[in-house]
Amino acid sequence: MTVNWVEDPWVARLQPDAEDREQAIAELRNLLLRGLQRSLANRFGTGFQVEDVVQQALVKILDSLDRFEGRSQFTTWAMAIATRVGISEFRRKHYKDISLDAMAASSGLALELAQADETPVENRMERKAVVDLLQQLIDDTLTEKQRFAIRAALEGLPVEEIARRSGSNRNAIYKLVHDARLRLRDGLESAGIMAEDVNAIFS
Amino acid sequence: MSLNGQQIAQLMRMIADASPDCLDCEGCYDQIAEFADRQLKQQAISDAMREVENHLKQCPCCHNEYQVLLEGLKEMEQQQDVPASEQPE
Repeated sequence: MTVNWVEDPWVARLQPDAEDREQAIAELRNLLLRGLQRSLANRFGTGFQVEDVVQQALVKILDSLDRFEGRSQFTTWAMAIATRVGISEFRRKHYKDISLDAMAASSGLALELAQADETPVENRMERKAVVDLLQQLIDDTLTEKQRFAIRAALEGLPVEEIARRSGSNRNAIYKLVHDARLRLRDGLESAGIMAEDVNAIFS
Repeated sequence: MSLNGQQIAQLMRMIADASPDCLDCEGCYDQIAEFADRQLKQQAISDAMREVENHLKQCPCCHNEYQVLLEGLKEMEQQQDVPASEQPE
């Protein structure tokens, strides 16, 4: 059940005409700063300014107050916005030197699967059979965009970055990759190879 | 360019772990705060929240963001428990 957003004390205090708006903004800034300083540093190191992230997030939060529906605590909702702002900022900087063009040129937008040299001899034939079948499924059932998106994901690019670089959006790239995964899974299952078999062979 | 052994194994895991997903990333984001509150308070998860849970299993990008969110919320909660005079600058 959702509550009327004006009932939340934070939302009331952050309204443009609220008496202690500046104090509320300062308190929220402090909370977000202390939460993000540790969480972002733990995962991404200290390569960017958390203060800048919080400032950007505050602008976004204040602009979106009317979208808070009271389904969570206000501070959780605000932290979710700030977290996404922070991670997007990190991703933009971290992956800026990785070129999708170079990836496309070198791979021809195709996935070419090669057997790993370190594969144990006893599993090599079994793996080769699955890899050959998968290669065929990739060639026959995936679109060029799907092959390229999977290639980029396997190179470590998050869907958000693939979308930004390719002029698409995150939802579209996620769906593109997810549909490809399901299609390949269906193809393998049609050939009698189940998920647990795949896990066992490639574990 | 061929995939190396690690990438092949990663692709295989992506395929083996794939299951239908009713949500996209924005649909997940819209509900992530509620999901986080429920998880932190160890409350029961509704069917709608199960969809969020499923999307987080399917999408490494959203999963990553959710882990950072949880860490941030726990940190924020700890700070709220500490008197202002004792908080580090």
